[in-house]
Amino acid sequence: MFRQIYLFELKYRLKRPATWAYFGILLVFGLIVAIGGNGPVSEKVFVNSPIGIATMLITISIFGVMLASAIMGVPIYRDIEHKTENYYFTYPISEKGYVLGRFLGSLTILFLISLGFHAGLIAGFAIGPYAGYVEPERFTDFHLSYYLQPTFILYWSNFFVSGSIFFALVALTKRIMLAYAGGAILFITYLVTLTLTQDIENKDLVSLFDPFGFGTYSNVIDYWTPEEQNTKTVPITGMLVWNRILWVGIGLLALLYTVFKFDFQRFLNRKYSTKKVKIQNETVNVSAVLERIPSVEKVYSKSLNLKILLDLAKMEVKNIVKDNFFIAILIAATLFLFFDGWYGFPLYGTPSLPTTYYMLEVKDFNFIVLMFVLIVFMTGEVMHRERGVNYDQIFGSLPIPNGVIYGSKFLALIFISFLLVNLVLVSGVFNQITKGYYDFKFGMYFTDLYLIEFPKYITFVMLAFFVHSVVTKKFIGHVVAIAIWTLLFAINSFMDVDNNLYLYAYAPGYTISDMNGFGHFGTALFWFRIYWLAFGGLLAYLGFLLWKRGTDTGRKSRLRLAKGRLNKATISTMIILAAICLGSGLYINYNTKTINNYQTEKAGTIASAEYEKQLGKYNRIDQPKVVDVKLEADLFPENRSATIKTVYKLVNKSIRPIDSLHLNWGSPGIFHKEVEAFKINGRTPVLGRKYEDFNYEIYALGTRMNPGDTLVMELTVTGSFKGFPNEGSGRQIVYNGTFMDNSFFPSFGYDTQEELTSDQDRKKYELPTKDYSLPSQNDGWGLKNLLFNDDADYVTFEGTVSTAPDQLAIMPGYLQKEWEENGRKYYSYKMEGDLDFFYNISSARYEIYKEVWTGKNGKKVNIEIFHHPEHTYNIDRFVKSVKHSLDYFSENFGPYQYRQIRIMEFPRYAGFAQSFPNTVPFSESFAWVGNFSDPEDLDYAYFVTSHEVAHQWWAHQVTPSATRGANQISESMAEYAALMVMKKEYGRDAMQRFLKEELDDYLRGRANESKFEKTLLDNDNQAYVWYQKGALILYALQDLIGEKTLNKGFERFVDSALYRQKAPFATSLEWYDYIKSVTPDSINYFLEDSFEKITLYSNKTSEAIYKTLENGKYEITINIESSKSYFDGNGKLLDSPQNPNLIEIGVFGEDKKNKAGMTIKSPIILEKKWIKPGKSSFTYVVDNLPFKAGIDPYNKMIDRIPDDNLVTIEESSD
Amino acid sequence: MELIISNLNKTYANGVHALKDVNLTIPQGMFGLLGPNGAGKSSLMRTLATLQEADSGSATFGDIDILNDKKKVREILGYLPQEFGVYPKISAINMLNHIASLKGIANKGERKSLVESLLVKTNLWQFRNRSLGTYSGGMKQRFGIAQALIGDPNLIIVDEPTAGLDPAERVRFHNLLSEIGENTVVILSTHIVEDISNLCSNMAIICLGEVVAKGNPSELTKEVAGKIWKKPVDKNELAAYQKDFQVISTHLKAGQTIIHVISEEQPHASFEKSKANLEDVYFAEITSRMEAIVD
Repeated sequence: MFRQIYLFELKYRLKRPATWAYFGILLVFGLIVAIGGNGPVSEKVFVNSPIGIATMLITISIFGVMLASAIMGVPIYRDIEHKTENYYFTYPISEKGYVLGRFLGSLTILFLISLGFHAGLIAGFAIGPYAGYVEPERFTDFHLSYYLQPTFILYWSNFFVSGSIFFALVALTKRIMLAYAGGAILFITYLVTLTLTQDIENKDLVSLFDPFGFGTYSNVIDYWTPEEQNTKTVPITGMLVWNRILWVGIGLLALLYTVFKFDFQRFLNRKYSTKKVKIQNETVNVSAVLERIPSVEKVYSKSLNLKILLDLAKMEVKNIVKDNFFIAILIAATLFLFFDGWYGFPLYGTPSLPTTYYMLEVKDFNFIVLMFVLIVFMTGEVMHRERGVNYDQIFGSLPIPNGVIYGSKFLALIFISFLLVNLVLVSGVFNQITKGYYDFKFGMYFTDLYLIEFPKYITFVMLAFFVHSVVTKKFIGHVVAIAIWTLLFAINSFMDVDNNLYLYAYAPGYTISDMNGFGHFGTALFWFRIYWLAFGGLLAYLGFLLWKRGTDTGRKSRLRLAKGRLNKATISTMIILAAICLGSGLYINYNTKTINNYQTEKAGTIASAEYEKQLGKYNRIDQPKVVDVKLEADLFPENRSATIKTVYKLVNKSIRPIDSLHLNWGSPGIFHKEVEAFKINGRTPVLGRKYEDFNYEIYALGTRMNPGDTLVMELTVTGSFKGFPNEGSGRQIVYNGTFMDNSFFPSFGYDTQEELTSDQDRKKYELPTKDYSLPSQNDGWGLKNLLFNDDADYVTFEGTVSTAPDQLAIMPGYLQKEWEENGRKYYSYKMEGDLDFFYNISSARYEIYKEVWTGKNGKKVNIEIFHHPEHTYNIDRFVKSVKHSLDYFSENFGPYQYRQIRIMEFPRYAGFAQSFPNTVPFSESFAWVGNFSDPEDLDYAYFVTSHEVAHQWWAHQVTPSATRGANQISESMAEYAALMVMKKEYGRDAMQRFLKEELDDYLRGRANESKFEKTLLDNDNQAYVWYQKGALILYALQDLIGEKTLNKGFERFVDSALYRQKAPFATSLEWYDYIKSVTPDSINYFLEDSFEKITLYSNKTSEAIYKTLENGKYEITINIESSKSYFDGNGKLLDSPQNPNLIEIGVFGEDKKNKAGMTIKSPIILEKKWIKPGKSSFTYVVDNLPFKAGIDPYNKMIDRIPDDNLVTIEESSD
Repeated sequence: MELIISNLNKTYANGVHALKDVNLTIPQGMFGLLGPNGAGKSSLMRTLATLQEADSGSATFGDIDILNDKKKVREILGYLPQEFGVYPKISAINMLNHIASLKGIANKGERKSLVESLLVKTNLWQFRNRSLGTYSGGMKQRFGIAQALIGDPNLIIVDEPTAGLDPAERVRFHNLLSEIGENTVVILSTHIVEDISNLCSNMAIICLGEVVAKGNPSELTKEVAGKIWKKPVDKNELAAYQKDFQVISTHLKAGQTIIHVISEEQPHASFEKSKANLEDVYFAEITSRMEAIVD
């Protein structure tokens, strides 16, 4: 019996076109991804590597929830839909046979359909090398195992889980909608676990609870290098096993429950209302015959139509809000908003305050996806309301104008949209209240939600109406609408189509800032919204014309109907909409393209390639260097422009004469520069040649500049923002929070930083591979230039800046004078001594907080915090960090070179902190609004401030040369210095979590490398090497050789390289020499491993047991395993040397809290041991009962599984 | 007012030619449309009820151009489709009130008394507050007629209204219809011949999209009077009879198969004359045509 039902299901399904349509969609999708895409992996990994294939399969299985609900929701529901249940169940079949037959039949079909993707991939990967979209080298041979393993472990098991749940939901509740709702819930669980991944402490939680195992899988492969990704499939061990057991178990349970619970009789029971009705006997009312039907007056008027419109709309709204599916999704969406708001914005794992803009931004995370789906589904419901209950024929013949019916439905959805945007407000305010944050900005809420977001939802509604009018089948309508949206998303994200003019409902991104409010983004948003509303209006109108009223579905009749609906009113409305759309579109295009030089990403890449091909010949030509800067800057924040005059004193520091000056303005962008005056030695120079495309100008100097000669260059430039761009914040000059640097002016000569770096791009445009962006450590040119700017070595600086009367303007140096003139504020600054050629010009409505640091030798430094008046939350943390940093650095590296240090806030259009000479700009979203109330969270305000202050030594006092490896002198040193300040403040035993965080970032960084990993000595641009690896290695080194010892070496380095006036400037080799000079020979192996090679440890404690001795003491035995391996830059194993390494062994009591309230380790024994690779055992006797023990307990070594170093001590069994 | 249909044609997207050059003049009163399943009755009615487009031809009701002035038609139309549903969670009285407001009855008081009288009329008064989802088939059908009668329609189109009704309900329904039929055009489709002969003063038989007969039921019956012959036959001989004679129908009566044959003269001595009725007219028109399709 089961067999017949099973086979029937198969045969039935195999004949359904939908089955093959789904199969076809997956096949085509697989082909596209395989042939055209780069896949989900980095450039160094094969497109069809085992990891690439597995990632694609899992991703499809997540979106496959839709497919699973479509396939697994219907097999039982089919009998309800076609009303066959009434007789089918009378056949001599058993419930279990029926349920299992239908289930397994559908599951087989689902699996079969799902293989469409494999077919597409396999075929695509075979065609790919010849198709030319991706380099043939990116493809490896076909391996069946690459497909089989992830298909069983993840792909099919996901389909099984979601399929079983949907099947159960429909079989037990008879409601097909619940299958969709179930899909939504699974998806939400997934997204929730995704949010949790932001904190690495949640790793195991995510691994266990991610319903699709994607997080689990990612946690396994996160640290895999390209080499591993190319050769290994995911091992079925650890959390992956538990995750699969959990979820497949849930699926099985759902299935078994259904099999045993399903009952024909209960299934047939119909229930319409929960209210008990009194069953009355039907009696014939004789008077009925005599009843006269009263005559009535019928009115058909505009006002009645309006009333009907509103009544119908009201009814629709009521219907929607009563819909259980709607309620379910709404609750889910609100929970989401709340959840995202709650966890949404951590930095370094530390939460931020729930500021209003954060509460608003969560709407762009997962919420928007649900909202679009909800709008599409509800539009479907509304459009099919009458058809759904078979009332459409009666309704269609009622004397209500088409416009009224369609309009009422549209109006209902608009109202629903309004309701939806308000959810953001409710959830946001609720979140803020819950967190005890009462600084609500309702104006910000209303502006964003009602003026910006609401119109976008209306455009969604318009699209949904169009689709659901054209497509008369509800489910297909849903699929089409969602497919359109997915397609938009896909071409935007994967195909680099980013012109908002061509992406329905898109608009330039905008950022809300406390400092600058909605800033200048309003204009662009206004025009884009108008444009898309008009376009959407046209769509909705077109939908109206094609909208089905009545029973005719033929294309011909619907076209005829549409023609019938065309009249003066409809035509003129459409013409007006089209005119608005076209007009605003042209205006937008004028702004983004004509004024603001919009170009596609590809055009940008080509331009970069051309730049190198045409101008590469000017690389390294001799140009004079700036030695003195005088600025007169007039800022006009209110109209986003600035006129700045600079007087540069230039010296020919080369050994050859110079006769031309190359001004490199950078490719035309959105920041428009106009030269007001340009003089060299008082004369206007002659333009010799101009490369228009790159804004590269070559001026004849007139008189040749011999080595050592000096000249004065005066350049006045007006920089401004005009109209609005397709994207881009134009953050340099804004209404409040202007922040610019010397790139306002052109640089001299060719800049290699503007060249393409990607191997793939370079090959495509026939440029030689560029492994390094900087020359080697002994390159003459590199040694005579500084890393951050080759237009100058050190300079002297003074200048005057004027700004709006209510703003305060800042430049480097000490404030000499401030005054008001012509209704504007003026500030004049002068720097003492030398500085890097790196200055900032800032202006905003600041408040200043001041304190003074006094050093041991009595030196005083003014600490000034320039902040947005509202942002006073964490000022004390900045100040404390500056003081502690000045303490530590002056003691260990040498005196601080200035009498002041300023920290300055700028709007959150960029999210970094940066160190200028005596000035540290910090983005608004960085630390100012961090919530550091929990001492367990990393106080990154403290840490990052310390890092930036450290740059005053490691970048500004010792400035690296333009050679590879030199940036470690700046970044690794700053990161190390900040770690040491932390260590001093929080204690050695608090450091493990910071080290683990650095370790995680490093391992992730190298796994995603698109070239090859470089060593500490020659790394030129890999941030994970210069920050994280550098910090870890230097921290471990000071632990091995002593903090004082290592710092002594660094102090000597500072002494030698301090403001070095002449080449050769500092290199990594020089730095390394100073490190070597203080390192004992026994530790030399560690230096070689760490600085010259890529070395990874694999340390693990297999067990730790204790025995109570007769004297009451405890004997502890720790069994560990250790190994060390060398890898090449691609992650390929080179060698595993067997010499012993000095590694820490520790025994710990229960964790404690330090004075700051932070959990720290409490070591009973902590000692370094020479440990040979392989297994070893250590025994200790301690007085108190220990808690944990293990190897490298503080994660100082680079180890890919840091969590197995320390284990809980167990009592010996004998 | 008369409803005049001329040369109406309709072919569906799937190729089915549902209406072929339909010409009908329908005077006031009850008009019956008779035809087998799939003959085109519903297509015709839906076209008249503005729910469907025609490919060619015209239909006018008084001075209203039905095919092009849908708005006007809907204002005077009462339509009960063959199959229809209701919102399961709303009560009959609320739903009728809602439909009345949609039909342009703006005055609340008028609407209330109209809805109430219709509920009485259709014998739904005591169930007026029950949700429509709990209605039995007959009750639902009566609700359907009630909604069709809202707003004094001049053109009432009811598509197989008695399907699924028990005999008592059918009678009540007929009474209701005939009462209205006096001053409006009522088009009633059915495949129950008896309904037509009882109710309609005019009728048409439609088969395969074509009007094959039209007129007054009794006159149509007269045309075949004297040409209908019957004979009880053995089951095994049926095929032979069908081959030799124009058998229009076969009935089972007390275990015997009785065939009706149409013929100007007595086909054979064994046949005896049968009193012609509308059913014979129907079968006479339909059988041969349907056989042509089967063959």
